[in-house]
Amino acid sequence: MSMSSSALLMLLATFLPLLGGLVLLFVPNEKREIFQKGAVAIMVASFLLSVPLWFQYDRGSDAVQFAYSVSWMPSLGVKFNVGMDGISLLLWLLTTFTGPIAALCSWGNIEERWKEYYIWMLVLQTSLLGVFIAQDMLLFYIFWEVMLVPMYFLIGIWGGPQKLYAAIKLFLYTLSGSVLMMVAIFAIYFLQHKTNNAYDFSIESFQAMAPVIAQQTKAFQVLLALAFFLAFAIKVPMFPFHTWLPDAHVQAPTAGSVILAGIMLKMGTYGFVRFLLPIVPDGTKMLMPWFLALAIIGVIYGALVAMVQKDMKKLVAYSSVSHLGLCMLGIFALNPWGLKGALFQMLNHGISTPGLFLAVGIVYERRHTRMIADYGGLSKTMPIYATIFMLMTMSSIGLPLLNGFIGEATILMGTFQTWPWVAVLATSGIILGAAYMLWMFQRVMFGPISEVNTKMADLNFREIAYFTPLLIMAVWIGLYPKPFMDIMDKPVRKLVLQVQPDFFKAEALDAKQAEAAKVGMHGMEATDVKEHEAVPAEHTAKPSAETATPGGGH
Amino acid sequence: MSIEQAAGHLIGAAGAASTGSGILWLIPFLPFFGFLINGLTGRRLKNTKVVDAIALGSVGISFLLTIYFFFQLVALPESSRSIHQNLWTWFDLGGARVFGGLSTATIKWAYKFDALSGAMAILVTGAGFLIHLFSTGYMSEERNDGRYYRFMAYMNLFVFSMLNLVLGANILMMFLGWEGVGVCSYLLIGFYFDREYAAVAGKKAFVFNRVGDFGFMIGFFLLIMLFGTVDYDTMMGMVRNLSAAPSITLFGHTATPTFWFNLSACCLFVGAMGKSAQIPLYVWLPDAMAGPTPVSALIHAATMVTSGLYMITRLNFIYVQAPVALSLVLLVGSLTALFAATMGLAQYDIKKVLAYSTVSQLGFMFMGLGAGAFSAGMFHVFTHAAFKACLFLGSGSVIVACHHEQDMRNMGGLRKVMPWTFASMGLATLAIAGVPPFSGFFSKDEILWKVFEHGWNHQGTFYFVCWGMGMLAAFCTAFYMVRLMAMTFFGEYRGAGSDPFGLTVPSEVHHTSDDHAHPHTDAHADAHTNPGLHVFDPQPAEELTDHGHAEHAHGPAEVPWNMWVPVFIFGLLAVVLGFLNLPPSLGGNEHFSKWLEPLLYQINAPEGHHAAESIEYGLMGFAIVWALSAMGLAWWIYITDPSWSRAKAFVKRFPQVFEWVNAKYYVDEFYDAMIINPIKQLSAQLWSFDTWVLDGTVNGAGRFTVMLAKASDWFDAKVVDGLVNSVAWGLQKSSSGFRTMQSGQVQNYAFVMILGFLAFACWKFLA
Repeated sequence: MSMSSSALLMLLATFLPLLGGLVLLFVPNEKREIFQKGAVAIMVASFLLSVPLWFQYDRGSDAVQFAYSVSWMPSLGVKFNVGMDGISLLLWLLTTFTGPIAALCSWGNIEERWKEYYIWMLVLQTSLLGVFIAQDMLLFYIFWEVMLVPMYFLIGIWGGPQKLYAAIKLFLYTLSGSVLMMVAIFAIYFLQHKTNNAYDFSIESFQAMAPVIAQQTKAFQVLLALAFFLAFAIKVPMFPFHTWLPDAHVQAPTAGSVILAGIMLKMGTYGFVRFLLPIVPDGTKMLMPWFLALAIIGVIYGALVAMVQKDMKKLVAYSSVSHLGLCMLGIFALNPWGLKGALFQMLNHGISTPGLFLAVGIVYERRHTRMIADYGGLSKTMPIYATIFMLMTMSSIGLPLLNGFIGEATILMGTFQTWPWVAVLATSGIILGAAYMLWMFQRVMFGPISEVNTKMADLNFREIAYFTPLLIMAVWIGLYPKPFMDIMDKPVRKLVLQVQPDFFKAEALDAKQAEAAKVGMHGMEATDVKEHEAVPAEHTAKPSAETATPGGGH
Repeated sequence: MSIEQAAGHLIGAAGAASTGSGILWLIPFLPFFGFLINGLTGRRLKNTKVVDAIALGSVGISFLLTIYFFFQLVALPESSRSIHQNLWTWFDLGGARVFGGLSTATIKWAYKFDALSGAMAILVTGAGFLIHLFSTGYMSEERNDGRYYRFMAYMNLFVFSMLNLVLGANILMMFLGWEGVGVCSYLLIGFYFDREYAAVAGKKAFVFNRVGDFGFMIGFFLLIMLFGTVDYDTMMGMVRNLSAAPSITLFGHTATPTFWFNLSACCLFVGAMGKSAQIPLYVWLPDAMAGPTPVSALIHAATMVTSGLYMITRLNFIYVQAPVALSLVLLVGSLTALFAATMGLAQYDIKKVLAYSTVSQLGFMFMGLGAGAFSAGMFHVFTHAAFKACLFLGSGSVIVACHHEQDMRNMGGLRKVMPWTFASMGLATLAIAGVPPFSGFFSKDEILWKVFEHGWNHQGTFYFVCWGMGMLAAFCTAFYMVRLMAMTFFGEYRGAGSDPFGLTVPSEVHHTSDDHAHPHTDAHADAHTNPGLHVFDPQPAEELTDHGHAEHAHGPAEVPWNMWVPVFIFGLLAVVLGFLNLPPSLGGNEHFSKWLEPLLYQINAPEGHHAAESIEYGLMGFAIVWALSAMGLAWWIYITDPSWSRAKAFVKRFPQVFEWVNAKYYVDEFYDAMIINPIKQLSAQLWSFDTWVLDGTVNGAGRFTVMLAKASDWFDAKVVDGLVNSVAWGLQKSSSGFRTMQSGQVQNYAFVMILGFLAFACWKFLA
C-alpha cells in the first residue's frame, strides 16, 4: 500500500520523539541544556508536523483516514495498520500539544540524570501517540503496554519519597487490567477464526464481529464486556479502581502528572468508545446499570474525597476521578450528544487538569511542599500566578466562557435524555466541584500571607510560556468549540449506529409522531394558526387565547 | 407540512419581527475590552487615571450605545420592537423529544435588544457607569498599592457578564452571564483577599449560587426536552402549541403540559433563589457585604441580584402556564420579604441593614411576579435599583467619612457635615419606605395591590396571607430605614469620643488590619458570641480613645464630588422614577407596563370578580398611613430620645426576641450543623474508606501475592524441590550399594561373573 503524504506526516509526528530520543542517546551525560532544549525542540517539531492533519482531515466522512498498512506477521493476520478517525485525531493532537508543555515544565525540577529523563519522556510520547493511530489490535496492545515502561521509570526514578511504591502500583494495576483485555482479544480472535476461517487482528474486523458476538451466550458476552471494562476502567480510572491514581500523581514529577492526567487517563475512555461499545454492544447494555452506578458514584465520591485532601496534588487527582466519572456517564448515555460531550470533555480535561498540576508544580518547585496548609495569601506576591491558577480553576469547575462548561453541559444534557435521574445526581456534582476547588484556592491564594511565602517569586518567562497555550485553548474552546465538535460528528454518529442500530430510526419515528401530533393540533386550532403566522413574534407572545390553556387560570 | 417547515415558520415569524444590527455586540463587548486592557496592562500603568479612562470610558460608551439602541427601539412599531445580532454558532446540545423528534438544539452566540432587555441594559450600563464613577473616589486609597486596576478590571468584567445575561438571545447566553456575574461577585467580594472573612464570604456566595445553578441547569434541560431549543423567540412561538397538546410524554411519564411547565419553572426558580437571594439560599448576600461598597451597590443591590427577576420575566410565557410555580414564587417572595425585613430591624452594621433590606425588597419583587404582575415586579427592580444604589453609595460615603467605621452606634450627627449625602439618602429613605410621591411608593404599592387584587378576584386566602406578610414587611422596612437614618445622621457624632449616652461599641476597624482596612463586616463574631448585649455595654470613653479615634483628629467631612454626585443622581432618580408607571387610578398612563406589555403574557382574570376602585384607593391610603406610622414609631424611639432608652427597654423586656432577630434566627448555624458539617464528615469518612478499604484491598492484594509467593517459595523449596531432591537422594542411596560393587578389581568381577554363570546354569538346566 503506498503511503499518502498525510500518512507520512502522521507517522513522522508519531515516531519523531522516539528517533529524537535515539539521537540524544549519543549526547554526553553532562550536557543538560542540550537535553532540555533538544527535548522541547523535538516535541515542538512533532506538534508542528501534526497540525496539518487537522486541516487535511475530511470531516464529511466517518472512515479511518490517513490509513497506511503493511503486512507484518501474515500467518497471524497481524499488520502494521495505522490511521485515524476524528475521535483519535483529536486525542492524538492533544498528545502532540501536551508534549512540549511537559518537556518545558521539567527544566526546573529535574536536577539529576537528565539524559535518561528526557529520553524516557520522548519514548513515552511515541508510545502514547502510537495508541491513537493503531488500527490493529496487536499493534494497539503493544503501544498500550509499552507506555507503562517509560512512565514506570519517570515515576520510579524522578518521583517523590514513595516513588517505587507508586510506580510499581501503577504498573501492576494497569497491567492486570490489560491482561484481561488480552484474553478478551484472543477470545474474539479465535471466535473470528471459527466463524469465517480467517486470522485477522485489524480493529475493523474486530468491530465487524459485533453481530456474531451478539449471537453467543449471554455469559460469554458479559464476560467479554467485563474483561474490556476492567482493563479500561482501571486506566480511566473509575471508582473503585482509582486508588493507583492519587499515589502515582503525588509521587510523579510534574511532567509525569501532566502526561498522566492529560493523556494516559484518556486511554481508558478511548478504549471504551473504540472497543467495548462497538465490539460488545449487547454485553455492555446488559451490564449498563452497574457501569452507570460506578460512574455516578465516581462523580460524587471523587468530589467528596477531594474536598478533605490536604495535599494539592491529591486533591486534583481526586477531582480527576470525579471529572472522568462524568465522561463515563456521557459515554454510557449511548446517544450522540452524550458521547460527543464525553469525548469533548476528555479534551477539556486534558487542558484544565494538566494546567492545575503545572500550577501545583510551580509552588512545589519553590517551596518543596504541596500541603495546602503551608500556603496562604500567595495572590499578594504572585499576581500572575494567581490569575492563571484562577483561570485553570474556573475552567475545571465548568465556568461558561471557558472550555469545561461546554463539555459538562453537553454531557449532562446528553445523559439527561437517556438517564434523567442519573443526570440530576451528576449535576449536583457541580456544586461540590465548585466547593472543593474554591476552598483549595482560597486556602492557598487568599488570606494572610506568612513570612516564608512572601519570598516566593512570581512566574518567569518560561513558566508563562508553557501556561499560555493551555490558556489560549481554554478560552478558544469556551468561545468557539464548534470546530472541535464537528470533527467528531461523523465518527460519533457511526459509533451510535454500532451500539444502537435503531437509534436514528427511532428519531425518524419520533419525528413522524410529532408531526402527527402537530397536524392534529393544527386541526383543532386552524384559525389560530393562521393568525399566528400572519403576525410578528411579539404578538404571538401575547395570545388572546391564553385563557383557554389548562395552565392559564389560577 | 413537515416538521422542518413548521419549525421554519415559527423561527421565521420570530425573525421577521426583529431588526438585525451589526453593532449590537459592542454594548457588552466594550466593557470586556476595558477588562482586557486594564487586566493585562494595568499592573504596569503608573498613572491610575488611565485605568479610570479605560474603565469609565468603556462603560460610558456602552451606555450611550444602549441609549442609541433604545431610541431605535422606540421608533419601531410596538409589535416588532426587537433588535438582534447573531455572532456565531456556539455549540450543540441534545434536543427535544416532544415536537422535533430527537433534534439537536443549536446554541448561537446571539444578542437580542428588546423592550425588556433594553430597559435592563440601560439599568446595567447607567448604574454601572455611575458606580464606576463613585469607585474612582471610594477606592482612591487603593490607587497607590497596585490593586486599583484589578478592581476596575473586575467591575468591567462584571458589566460585560451582566450585559450578556440581559441581552443574550437564549437561555444559554443568559446562563453564560449568570455564571459570569457569579464569578465577578466572587472576585469582588473577596477583593480584600488577605482578609480571611472576605475570601470566605466570596466562596460562600459562589457555592450558594451554584446550588441555585443546579436547579437552573435542570430547568433548562427540561425546557430543551420540551422545546428543542433555548432561543426565546422560537420558544415564544412554540409555547402555545405546546400548551395546547393534550399530554406530553417524557421519560415514559405522560402528563399534562402544565405539569411539565410547572416542573421546569420550579427548577428554574431554584436558580433565581440562589442568584436573587431568596429563602432558603439568601444567606450569602449579607456576608457579601465584605466586598467594597461600590460592589455592594452595583452587584448586590442594583443589578446582579435582580437576575432572577429578569429570568422569570423573560420566561414569563412559561410561568403563566405554571400556576404551581407562580404560587411558589409568591410564597417564597412573601416569606423572604417579611423575614429579611425583621432581620434588618436589629442590625448595627450599616451595610448589613441595607443587605437585609435588599433581600427583603427582592422578596417584594418576587411577590409581584408570583401574582402574575410581571411588569409590577420589574418596575420595582428599577425603582429599587435607584434608591438602593443611592443608599449603598451613601453608606459608602458615610463609611469613608467615618474612617471605615461601619457600626452605626459609632456614628451619628452626620447630617450637618455631609449635607449632600444626607439629602440624597433621605430621599432614598422616603422612597423605600413608601411615602408618596417617591418612586418606592408606586412600585411597592402596585405589587401589594396586585397580590391583593389577585386574592380578591379568586377568593384566595393564600393571596391575602401573602399580602399580609408584605404589609408587615413594608412596616418593618419603613422602621429600619428611619432607624438607620437616625443612628447615622441624627443626634451628635459619637465617633470622636463624645458619647453621653454610652451608645458606642469598641470599633473593630483598628483591630483588624495594618492598612486602611475596609473593616470587618462579618458580624458573626459579635452577633453570635455575645448576641445583642453590646447595647448595654457601657464603654468608658478612655477605652475608646485607646482604640485610637484620637489619631483621626479631624471629624467626618463631606466626600469629594465624584462620590456625592452619583449618590445624588440616584437620589433624584429615586424621587422621579415612580412617575414612569403611574397607575390609571392616579391619572397616570402606566408607561412602563405598556412598554413591557408586548412581551408579557397575561393571566386573564375570570370576569365578574373585579375589585372595585374604591378598594384600591382605600388600600393606597392605608399603605400611606401604615408607612408613616412605622416611620413615626422609629422617629419616636431613635430621634426624639437620643439615648434610645425606649429601644433598650424593649430589649430588656424581650431579650429572647432581640437575640434571635439579631442573630438572624441562627440560619447560618443551622446550615453549618445540618448540611455543611455532615458533608465534611461524610467526606472524611469516605476518605478513610478510600484509604483503608479500597486502597487496602489493592495493597492487601499486593501483600497476599507476596505471601503467596513466599508460601510458594517454601513449597517449592521444601515440597517440590524436596521431591526432586528425594528422588536424587533415593537414587544416590540406592546407587551407593551398587557402587560398592564397582570395586575395579578383576577378581571380584570374575567372582561375580562365575556366580552369574552358575545362577544362569541352574535356572536353565534345572527348569
